[in-house]
Amino acid sequence: MSKITFRIGGVHPDDNKISRNCAIETLPLPPTVYVSVSQHIGAPAKPVVAAGDKVKAGQVIAEPGGFVSAFVHSPVSGTVKGIVSRKDLAGRPVPHIEIAVEGDEWAEGIDLSDTLVTEIPSDKAVILEKIKAGGVVGLGGATFPTHVKLNPAPGKVADCLIINGAECEPWLTSDFRIMVERPDEIVVGAALMQKVLGCRCVIGVEENKPEAVEALKASVAKLGYPDIQVLSLRKRYPQGGEKQLIDAVLHRQVRSGCLPIDAGAVVQNVATALAVYEAVQKNRPLVTNTLTVTGDCLPVERQHNYLFRIGTPLSFIMEQAGGVPEGAAKIISGGPMMGKAVSNVDAATVKGSSSILYLTEAATKRNPQSNCIRCGKCSDACPMGLEPFLLNRLYKAGDADGLEKNAVQDCIECGCCLYSCPAYIPLLDNIRQAKGQVMGIIRARAAAAKAAAEAVK
Amino acid sequence: MDKLIVSPSPHIHARTSTSVIMRDVIIALAPAILVSVLFYGWSELLVLGVSVASCVFVEWAITKWLLRRPSTIGDLSAVVTGLLLAMNLPATTPWWVVFIGALVAIGVAKMTFGGLGQNVFNPAITGRVFLLISFPTYMTDWTMPSGFVRSVDAVSGSTPLSALKEALMSGSTISDFVAGYDGGWRALLTDIGGSAGEISAIALLVGFGYLLLRKVVKIWIPLSIFATIALISLIFNSVDPEAYTGVLFNLKTGGVILGACFMATDYVTSPMSRTGGIIYGIGIGFIVMMIRYFGSYPEGMSFAILIMNCVVPLLNKWFHQKKYGRN
Ligand code: SF4
Ligand code: SF4
Repeated sequence: MSKITFRIGGVHPDDNKISRNCAIETLPLPPTVYVSVSQHIGAPAKPVVAAGDKVKAGQVIAEPGGFVSAFVHSPVSGTVKGIVSRKDLAGRPVPHIEIAVEGDEWAEGIDLSDTLVTEIPSDKAVILEKIKAGGVVGLGGATFPTHVKLNPAPGKVADCLIINGAECEPWLTSDFRIMVERPDEIVVGAALMQKVLGCRCVIGVEENKPEAVEALKASVAKLGYPDIQVLSLRKRYPQGGEKQLIDAVLHRQVRSGCLPIDAGAVVQNVATALAVYEAVQKNRPLVTNTLTVTGDCLPVERQHNYLFRIGTPLSFIMEQAGGVPEGAAKIISGGPMMGKAVSNVDAATVKGSSSILYLTEAATKRNPQSNCIRCGKCSDACPMGLEPFLLNRLYKAGDADGLEKNAVQDCIECGCCLYSCPAYIPLLDNIRQAKGQVMGIIRARAAAAKAAAEAVK
Repeated sequence: MDKLIVSPSPHIHARTSTSVIMRDVIIALAPAILVSVLFYGWSELLVLGVSVASCVFVEWAITKWLLRRPSTIGDLSAVVTGLLLAMNLPATTPWWVVFIGALVAIGVAKMTFGGLGQNVFNPAITGRVFLLISFPTYMTDWTMPSGFVRSVDAVSGSTPLSALKEALMSGSTISDFVAGYDGGWRALLTDIGGSAGEISAIALLVGFGYLLLRKVVKIWIPLSIFATIALISLIFNSVDPEAYTGVLFNLKTGGVILGACFMATDYVTSPMSRTGGIIYGIGIGFIVMMIRYFGSYPEGMSFAILIMNCVVPLLNKWFHQKKYGRN
């Protein structure tokens, strides 16, 4: 068993990677795609097309709406039907660009071949520009624009790029499949980002995926880039959390309120590395991603890993996979620990979509809550070293000061506390609320301090 | 798919529950209970039965008639309290004394504080100490084993600790006592008269091993209790072996194993952080040895745990989990 792992908390849910042997299949084109303008953290993108425009796959259809924002490209060729308001996964209305699919024609200059391009451009500005132009965002969950993350503020230096292949969420296997099927591209993508940052690189993979570790090691050896290392990590959730991965790989902790770069690290997901490869080496923007269709009520022969066009409605993918299985009580986009419950199956996929997970009532139902027995299982499980039972109590007492003192704002919403609580207390539900309130207070205070400082000037 | 469940993450659960934890504690107590029933026979079964039934009944009655809340007996914590109380009583305890103990344990120590998780004092120990103070004769005149495996007539006697205490108080030395006390040192494993549950150290430790394996308890509280008791008795015993008892004797008698492994580790009444737990354990070990060497009660485990229970809220306030990125 690998010794490399993070030092605080963590849980060991059954990994249930039933779909691990489902090779990636290309999903057929849907008749219509709906491309959201808010697929990344930061300002929504601004559409640059209008109803009636003909677009090709890979063509820009929306531009960054701010510094932290990203380009959005058409995933298909066809006719823009208009900018429509459409509900996202959670049922919130978001502007989408609706495109009727016609044929499959790609914009000029995009290399669709399988030939591996291993030569790294010598100018890092070129790489960065292409990543930005390709609309690449972090695909590990946060969807933070990659070019921003790779371009640290002046004075901040990264000494290690960590490529996150942990895939610590149970059930999901899309990262595993790309690591096994496209290790070369991932390694080149890593080398490109490494070139931009000018530091060493570690690819971390949990040891329940030995085939991925082998494949990546073989690629690294074959391609011969300097200073890239593949590490096998212990299986433990949330190993793939940015802060936990930095602790596991570098034995460093990101100080509270700081960014990974302050600890000298930049973390990027394996799927992001693949997207970087395609954007830089193939001029192919981020218009596809891989998604797992899985669940405890879905027979293994109906489980899939699909290469899908971003903007394809979930309902279309679900139909392609044979419809909602008997017994499914909850549909989750993402993993069972941090994913979002889907209330609207007509929602369109976004850049960061990683799975459709069907769970039965038996698997997902919470038992009625009872008294806290002060067992401490929640604080033993918390990877941030918080005391969820205490935060829960402070939240109920409305004690914002106490919450801030006890670091509610450090919560990464990993769910370990609620997962472990024998009394089924809705710890994270309450802590999420509390965190929102405290973050609001902290921001207001910072704004007031800034205003005061400006008034003095 | 008529209606989708839409609730926030996490969407899965470890599926532990309070009743599963309590069930594990019951399983862990089983070997020791079995041994004590074998050795003490019907009378021990009666004490166990009355204790468990009374604890469950009292909790049920209070939730139903006084609090008018849904019953909580399904979480099995009352059963655990009942078992622990019985294991801390002599097998000869009359049933009505056992019932009073249960009434105090559940009615006073647990439910007046708001039920499971809210109490400050360990219920079983509170019940026992109440009986110790109110009915001292029933509690100290303990029976020598005469159960199903040996058909010896019941011999009434004192526990080794209280016999020794008396001997020391009346001016004799430990070696005089050992010479006169039949079998005291020979067979600490099963032959010692004392609280029923502590009769077999091995059975208790096997049960505790099971709890460790199931990750129900952490080892540091019992370990720091044992270490403190061992250290203090080592020092005193090597200074004056005639006046102060030795390490093994102190670890094996007077409910130290039962208390350290099953009572001091009670979630509700022990500290939540590791540092807090270690200090709590050291405190218990220290108080036990002070009571034994200098106090008038022979054993002291129950008092030590109760006293340290009072300190737990402070320990929880002072000692916290180590946080990520805040050192
Ligand atoms: S959700 Fe927050 S409080 Fe709960 S275990 Fe994760 S980091 Fe800790
Ligand atoms: S896990 Fe649940 S029962 Fe245990 S201390 Fe935390 S909140 Fe209380």
